[in-house]
Amino acid sequence: MAQKTKKRYAMVLDSRKCIDCKACIVACKAENDVPLGVFRNRIIVEKAGEYPKLRMSFDPEQCHHCENPSCVRVCPTGASYQREDGIVLVKYDDCIGCKYCIIACPYDARYHNPETHTVGKCTFCAHRVDHGELPACVETCPSKVRVFGDLNDPKSELHQLLASRRHQVMNPQTGNGPQLYYLL
Amino acid sequence: MERRFFMQILGASSLVGVNSACSKWFGKRSSAVPYRLGIPTTCELCPNKCSVLADVKGDRIHKLNPNPANPKSRGMLCARGNAAIQQVYDPDRLKQPMIRVGARGEGKWRTVTWEEAWDFAAEKLKATRDKFGPEGTLWSSTEGFQEVFFKNLGQAFGSPNIQRHPSLCLSSMTLAYSMTFGTVPSFDLLKADYIIMAGANRFESIITPDTMDLIGGTMNRKAKLVYLDPRFTVTAAKADDWFPIRPGSDMAFILAMIHVIIREGKHDKAFLDAFTLGFDQLVEHVKPYTPEWAEGETEIPAADITRIAREFADAAPRAVFYAGRRSSWYQNDFQMRRAQAILNAIVGNWDREGGMVPNRKIAKGEFMFLPWDDPKASRVDEVEKDFPLTSAKDGVYLSLREHVLKGQPYPVKAWMVYKQDPLHSVPDQGKTLKMMEQMDFIGVIDIAMSDTAWYADVIFPESHYLERTDPIEVMPGIWPAAVYRQQVVKPIHDTKPCLEIVQGLAKRLGLNDYFDYTIEQWVEAEAKELPIPNGFEHMKKHGVVASTEAKYGTTRNEAHRFITKSGKIEIFSERLAEAGHDPLPVYTPQPQPPSGKFRLVLGRKATITHAGLAHLPWLNEQVPTNDLWLNPVPAGQMGIRSGDWLEVSSTSGKVKIQARVTDEIRPDCVFMLHGFGKKSPWLKRTFNNGAADAILLETAWDKVSGNAAMHETFVSIVKT
Amino acid sequence: MREPVWEYLIVNYLFLGGLSAGLFFVSALATWLQEEGRPAFPHIARWGALLAPWPVSLGSFLLIFDLGKPFRFWKLFFTFHWQSPMSIGSWLLVIFTMLTMAYLWAWLEPEERTRLLNFIPTKVRQRIPVKVVKWLEHDLSFWRRELAMAGFPLAVSVGIYTGVLLGAVQARPFWNTNLVAQMFLFSALSTGTATLILVRLFDKKQPVALAEMRFLYTLDICLILIEFFIVLPYLIHGKLSVLAVQDALAQVLGGPFTFTFWVLFLGCGLLTPLLIELYEFKPVLLGQGPLHINPRWAITAAGLVILGGYVLRYVFVFAGQASGFR
Ligand SMILES: Nc1nc2c(c(=O)[nH]1)N[C@H]1C(S)=C(S)[C@@H](COP(=O)(O)OP(=O)(O)OC[C@H]3O[C@@H](n4cnc5c(=O)[nH]c(N)nc54)[C@H](O)[C@@H]3O)O[C@H]1N2
Ligand SMILES: Nc1nc2c(c(=O)[nH]1)N[C@H]1C(S)=C(S)[C@@H](COP(=O)(O)OP(=O)(O)OC[C@H]3O[C@@H](n4cnc5c(=O)[nH]c(N)nc54)[C@H](O)[C@@H]3O)O[C@H]1N2
Ligand code: SF4
Ligand code: SF4
Ligand code: SF4
Ligand code: SF4
Ligand code: SF4
Ligand SMILES: [Mo]
Repeated sequence: MAQKTKKRYAMVLDSRKCIDCKACIVACKAENDVPLGVFRNRIIVEKAGEYPKLRMSFDPEQCHHCENPSCVRVCPTGASYQREDGIVLVKYDDCIGCKYCIIACPYDARYHNPETHTVGKCTFCAHRVDHGELPACVETCPSKVRVFGDLNDPKSELHQLLASRRHQVMNPQTGNGPQLYYLL
Repeated sequence: MERRFFMQILGASSLVGVNSACSKWFGKRSSAVPYRLGIPTTCELCPNKCSVLADVKGDRIHKLNPNPANPKSRGMLCARGNAAIQQVYDPDRLKQPMIRVGARGEGKWRTVTWEEAWDFAAEKLKATRDKFGPEGTLWSSTEGFQEVFFKNLGQAFGSPNIQRHPSLCLSSMTLAYSMTFGTVPSFDLLKADYIIMAGANRFESIITPDTMDLIGGTMNRKAKLVYLDPRFTVTAAKADDWFPIRPGSDMAFILAMIHVIIREGKHDKAFLDAFTLGFDQLVEHVKPYTPEWAEGETEIPAADITRIAREFADAAPRAVFYAGRRSSWYQNDFQMRRAQAILNAIVGNWDREGGMVPNRKIAKGEFMFLPWDDPKASRVDEVEKDFPLTSAKDGVYLSLREHVLKGQPYPVKAWMVYKQDPLHSVPDQGKTLKMMEQMDFIGVIDIAMSDTAWYADVIFPESHYLERTDPIEVMPGIWPAAVYRQQVVKPIHDTKPCLEIVQGLAKRLGLNDYFDYTIEQWVEAEAKELPIPNGFEHMKKHGVVASTEAKYGTTRNEAHRFITKSGKIEIFSERLAEAGHDPLPVYTPQPQPPSGKFRLVLGRKATITHAGLAHLPWLNEQVPTNDLWLNPVPAGQMGIRSGDWLEVSSTSGKVKIQARVTDEIRPDCVFMLHGFGKKSPWLKRTFNNGAADAILLETAWDKVSGNAAMHETFVSIVKT
Repeated sequence: MREPVWEYLIVNYLFLGGLSAGLFFVSALATWLQEEGRPAFPHIARWGALLAPWPVSLGSFLLIFDLGKPFRFWKLFFTFHWQSPMSIGSWLLVIFTMLTMAYLWAWLEPEERTRLLNFIPTKVRQRIPVKVVKWLEHDLSFWRRELAMAGFPLAVSVGIYTGVLLGAVQARPFWNTNLVAQMFLFSALSTGTATLILVRLFDKKQPVALAEMRFLYTLDICLILIEFFIVLPYLIHGKLSVLAVQDALAQVLGGPFTFTFWVLFLGCGLLTPLLIELYEFKPVLLGQGPLHINPRWAITAAGLVILGGYVLRYVFVFAGQASGFR
């Protein structure tokens, strides 16, 4: 019998395709009841140059579901934890709202939920993923910037993209082992 | 998507799995709530009509997801589509019919029953008819699935004045392409290798499937994109070449391209011989239009124009000069679009993969209703006389307003508005307000308290698209589709779909017989002839029928007759000559702003549709207000810094707005987003926030089509 | 993010925790140093003991109310996460606070204990089991020295912890060096010393003795010097470090916190008191006579040290959060 390998969810992003349309952000808000004023994902806009020689790039970002999540490490109650499949989550009932994890995340991926007074962050839409669906931001994206999948599944589009295309992670020097892979 | 339909379970019994999973991550969600996943319907937040699968939890819409079955929406749902939920649950939406009690625009309302609202409006309409005839009424609307019922009511009532939105949008483009090819084709951006877009900001002005295909084409296949726009937009950022072209000079650029292609013999001779008329005249016509000449007009280097012309012709037939959509820029707009059409024609990209492709359709049935008599009077805008080539059934908005204001040739005293916000979508808000003042009656059918509704006498709240069932709509294209909009949740307030609103009025106007059907009967009749068995059931279950295979070349045979006067592609147009217009596009330089003034240009943002959505919280969070883009050079001269308050004025009006000093615009232009500076306090987040461009825009139209020319306004700026 | 999520309550908490640690440390030192079998500086020792429990208690209280979910704070004590400085710190603070309480009890005179117990309303007192009352009345004064010894490592740990809480966060380059913990520790001890200088100067019953002042000044000068020689390498090291750290340091070297850091902390909070104390100490150093005690100077110096300790924490809490890898 073939051995069932452990899943490791990750995301590949092709930023060149991102048109800064914000569909991913609004989809996330709707799917996950994210309150106004805070966000689980964002588009980093970089501008350079002077008229008429201008450049502008867009990089979507959210929680990197780090291999060594510093947010989990500092959490005093164990509310922040990492699943077997790599997804980093918060058990809202155990969160005391100390915000230590917000500070400890080098990617500024977490926020204090002004309604529940606990901490929130991207869940990789675990509730959808567990039913074989795609995260809301991935599904809704017009230009299919985002590819979600299992790193350990050689048949997945994600795996194949990483095998065939040059890529990088954001700020590897954080030592967190981020799992959002940006195609070059 | 099949999986989703399997999950579409309408009872409380199943999907315990989903619920328990949810409660695991979202503590407070109760598992007793029944969950319906994937109810297919069709987005209504802009004209694209993307297919949607709605997830409903209990009786609350939880999430809208894209329906990949529609090749036009290509499995996406944009930010606005996602935010539709907030229209439904907006605490400030229209919840029941209302009749004005104070002065117009004062905002004093009396909530009334539907009967009262219908009686009131019917009385007023009848009074107008008695006094001025049915032509004394104006019926204006913007496209939508139920627009047909509204238009029909106006027609059955006997009014010739059915005013639709194309003359504020794309009519110069559609007319130009129709006059050339007999039809308006699509552009195969998915397969094209070389694409030129002039002011078609496709990555912010979302048009399906073009936006997605352009990204797919340029990023995955490395197709080349050349983009001309006085602004550095997202599309400019993604383009291989961006030229901040001098506004109004696009035609010079195009004519010079044609000049180079013909001079170098790069045109498709075989195609031109077989399918077109008037190429010889064109050869002579473009002789003076050299790239060097065009450089002076466009400020784009002649070498670049020549290079682009060569690259374009070499890439043909997989090369397109994209038509653009909101085409109404200048008074020569029609001729500029004609030049585009001709450029496309001479490289022979017609009906080829990666080229320009005539649209196919999906067949659907029609509900047979009792026909009414044609109106006795002719249109108040005298379209037949002034714009004989344009579509009389859509009207010419700006010309119409002039006529109504003058009472010429006859008075128009009652105005019904459906799904339109003329106070913002028609240039010169001051004039539109005057037109409202002279109306004896204004009735508005909307889902929100738009500014136009705010000035109405009676408001009929329509049910939101997620609360109603609409007719089947066919979307022509390279991948044609027919889509269906079905009720996802019951109306949560005392609102009604347009058809029922129309029926209530029809009954009181004695027009009952023309509207004696239900929406189900209507849809059933349409579904019967869909190219699919059990059409109605299919639509309810899947929301879409579509052709996912593109077909190329069906019109490329000698026998094909184009729907033009000659039956050929008309490079030279006799009909234009007959109507007193240039039969070949002649370049006339557009006026440029005098020193100290700036040209106001308009454009879109991906999170906003027209004037209508900027108040929704999730979208407002992304763009909380509008400001005036101004290049650092003039800003420096005037001592203006970002954040400074400015008074901006034109001959139409003035507004106060904050400055955004940015390199992303030409020094002779300014730009502001549409959709802010609202007068209606019910639109909390845009009320008195930012400024309305419609106040500044002056009245000007394209000479041939009558399409509102919206980049003709020069404004002065003073720091306050 | 980049908007601070930890604000003044955390600054206060770090300051107050450190102050308690400092007070206890100096008191314990004063107890441990003996002269003829008795504590060398009983007044310092006693005052330190009397004061030590309160700042940390207040600080913890503030911290709890800074939580998003204050009523869940108990969750901290149903788990232990050795990798989380906050988890370790919470336990540490509880133990330390209990110890300072016991130590305070040990430093009370029997009458004072009785008086204190009498504060408890009679009705309530009657209900307390005799056993507990007996236990409370227990005289711990023999244990003073043992408690002081036991408390040393705890006080030092608390002092370090307030720094480690920040320093352990790799995500914030401004913090992420072991020098922060050391800086916080010595600053904590120094604020404790300064507080005791103040208290002794204001103590009218037991006017301050020369030897006591000399002890406190010596201690404080040493602490300030050590702190200064931690701040210096912190800056040099940071300036020579990776880009992220350099960027972070820009906040105090030409950014929003430059004035606060250089003028308020380094100038007013560190060097000025050092100079004052050295000036007062000069006769001793030069062998020209006893220590000067100009109460005005002494009060100024001590006040500035305390201010400096607070500003240090302010700058670190806010500048640190503004720093990052981008
Ligand atoms: N200044 C300026 N003017 C412009 C443009 C511009 O860019 N700038 N663009 C032009 C173009 S291209 C176009 S197409 C037009 C568009 O012009 P309009 O069609 O007037 O555009 P909107 O501002 O979207 O107004 C639509 C109205 O319909 C309402 N509505 C939405 N959904 C429904 C519904 O289901 N039922 C009913 N009954 N009402 C509904 C909305 O609340 C809103 O009040 O504007 C043109 N005018
Ligand atoms: N997000 C979003 N998408 C939409 C809509 C929406 O409201 N919101 N509306 C839909 C509708 S109805 C329409 S009609 C389309 C409109 O879509 P488009 O046809 O793309 O029109 P605009 O976005 O108005 O873009 C006009 C651009 O032309 C530039 N421009 C101005 N003057 C000149 C000139 O002289 N030459 C050149 N080359 N460029 C010039 C402006 O700077 C602006 O960027 O968008 C559709 N898609
Ligand atoms: S990105 Fe931040 S929140 Fe996400 S796993 Fe990494 S450290 Fe934790
Ligand atoms: S805020 Fe909540 S999840 Fe974050 S560290 Fe504190 S307890 Fe853990
Ligand atoms: S994966 Fe889900 S939670 Fe994460 S950003 Fe996307 S939509 Fe939001
Ligand atoms: S939905 Fe896709 S294209 Fe749009 S902003 Fe997000 S990642 Fe970019
Ligand atoms: S483009 Fe966006 S708003 Fe328009 S129909 Fe599609 S999803 Fe709806
Ligand atoms: Mo439009």
